[in-house]
Amino acid sequence: MVVRRRLIAFGLGLLLLAGVVWGGQQQVQSVTILMPAPYADATATLVDRFNADHRGQIHLSVSRGPLETESISDLAISSLLLGSPPFDALLVDVTWLPKYVAAGWLEPLEPWFDAADEQELVAGARLGNRVNGSLYRWPLGADVGLLYWRTDLMADPPTTPDELAAVVSKLQLNGQAPQGFVWQGRQYEGLSCDFVEMLQAFGGSWFNAATGEPSLDSAAARQTATWMKSLINDGISPRAVTNYAESESLQAFKAGDAALMRNWPYAWAELQGDNSAVKGRIGVTTMVALPGETPAATLGSWGLSMLRDTPHPAATAEAIRYLTSQEAQRERFLNQGYTPTSQALFRDPELVERSAVLPQLEEALANAVPRPMSPLYAQMSDLLQRQLSGILTENLDPDAGMAQAQESTLTLFRSAGGSA
Amino acid sequence: MNLLLLLPALLLMGLVFVWPMLRYGWLSFHADSVLTGLNPVPNGGANWVRLLDDQRFWQDTLQTTRFAGVSVGLELLLALAIALLLDQRWRGRGMVRALALLPWALPTTMMALGWRWIFNTPYGPIERLTQMLGLGPLNLLSTPMWTWLVTVLADVWKTTPFIALLLLAGLQTIPEDLYSAFRLEGGRPVQALTSITLPLLMPYVLIALLFRGAQAFGVFDLIQVLTGGGPAGSTESVALYAYLNAMRFLDFGYSATAMLAGFLLLSLTMLILAMLLRLSGLIKPVQP
Repeated sequence: MVVRRRLIAFGLGLLLLAGVVWGGQQQVQSVTILMPAPYADATATLVDRFNADHRGQIHLSVSRGPLETESISDLAISSLLLGSPPFDALLVDVTWLPKYVAAGWLEPLEPWFDAADEQELVAGARLGNRVNGSLYRWPLGADVGLLYWRTDLMADPPTTPDELAAVVSKLQLNGQAPQGFVWQGRQYEGLSCDFVEMLQAFGGSWFNAATGEPSLDSAAARQTATWMKSLINDGISPRAVTNYAESESLQAFKAGDAALMRNWPYAWAELQGDNSAVKGRIGVTTMVALPGETPAATLGSWGLSMLRDTPHPAATAEAIRYLTSQEAQRERFLNQGYTPTSQALFRDPELVERSAVLPQLEEALANAVPRPMSPLYAQMSDLLQRQLSGILTENLDPDAGMAQAQESTLTLFRSAGGSA
Repeated sequence: MNLLLLLPALLLMGLVFVWPMLRYGWLSFHADSVLTGLNPVPNGGANWVRLLDDQRFWQDTLQTTRFAGVSVGLELLLALAIALLLDQRWRGRGMVRALALLPWALPTTMMALGWRWIFNTPYGPIERLTQMLGLGPLNLLSTPMWTWLVTVLADVWKTTPFIALLLLAGLQTIPEDLYSAFRLEGGRPVQALTSITLPLLMPYVLIALLFRGAQAFGVFDLIQVLTGGGPAGSTESVALYAYLNAMRFLDFGYSATAMLAGFLLLSLTMLILAMLLRLSGLIKPVQP
């Protein structure tokens, strides 16, 4: 008798437990997003507020991934290749998106974001989110390449390659700004970004989307490479620029040794710090271009993508929307300096007061150019960087180097399975 | 009957060595990348054509060979000195023998991380020291030549004990009588080293060379953790490149091609080395 009663009690308890577990699953959906550590830290307060707002419905947690871009890509890809990754969404760099889509890892965002949402974005932020016509990424911040200039050394920034060389030579003769024009010439991704801007300025493009083939041996591409080499050979840029990444360029410019610098929006805040020799004497514009050509700004930026295997697509979309809302953008801009993506915020008085360059940033974003949206982008960029670095640092002829880059890229496409 | 006894070993070899190699060979004639939806599609010899033209692969091959040659060479010299020392009788030898093995017992990733911190700019102790001496920042891990030397140093530090152990075992097989007889005949200690110790030790040196040569050519974890292949790819190894092709570029066909090519190049080098050694009379063919 006692045994039976105990059995019944046990059975009831088990039922109750199952009910609680089942009910819990019904109610609280847990969403996990993987981000590089700095982004995770910058969203921490937003996440807390999201969870307070969605108590009992959605629990959002952000995984702090590695700091380095490549390391977080390795981490994400390893878990995606193994299947059933422990994340619902990822923060994705603009150059990874086509690869992730081609691998079949991402879920289109159309059910949750429509054309009206996209219209609210500033021009540059609308790029780099779609692959084959479908929306796979929603931008967290806007990012483009800029030309920084010294307002105390020139009345207006140069707009053409010739003007750039002329103004820098004159300043160098006067002993001002010995480092002239600093940019990113080291053999790494930054070199490809600089090249994309200058190539567009000469009227060329890296990849011809219509034919599905690279166009690195075009006249414009050869001219661009020749010009980059001449910058160094003529002393417009120091020879050391061939080993500069963003931080080295910033260091030279911040010390007042350079007249012009190619860099990203983050540099603005650094240059306005108290330890900057050029504080309050900086203007921002876009890269120079040949007369008649549109200046270009290479598109950077990270965005949130939903994984195909997520069990909670609606909850994940809700989290993505929350973390990219205007309020969230405002907060990230005011606290961490991340460039907003909503058109409206670029004219917001409170934000403009904090950073006077927002209108110029909006202008640059209107000229944003993405790097080739190819699943093979990483290898394409590596092949190009190798040739460019050879042209800049060794005695490689620009024509020969670009012809080689074209040939190697075609070989890459053939080996990886057809055209990109 | 003999064959039957060999069967388990052969099966194991086939499973863990021959089958993966065949699979690599098969994959190297296929496109298997994001463009093919991660499915293998035959592409003729396009991967191999790309490999021949791939400057990054050949640069990595050169770098890996240079790394392996210099590290293993240094390790052999150091290990020989250590082994000779540890073979002598002196107080506390047992303890020193155990201590000498310590670097070998540490996991590579951990010690690579340790070296990375030691050579960090500006917080590492090495940079602190040079700055105290007024030399300014050396940026050791952002200069290709220095970074390469650091990888060699880390490898030498870690694997010298392994070779020393092998050589020590070899030294202990040399009969004491030989030395006694040599002394009776009036030979000097240096002559004992060159005419008894080294020739008799040679088979052990060759085993160490073979083991460590192959291992150093396949270096992956040390480079991945210490430098990630940088700066500007100057320390990237063939194994790291193959890994990047698979895990970062999602190009499994080409990754297999690079790995297999590295293996074939290594086998060829070893074969040539063995033939040269045999011709020079340093080793004799094994008598059945």
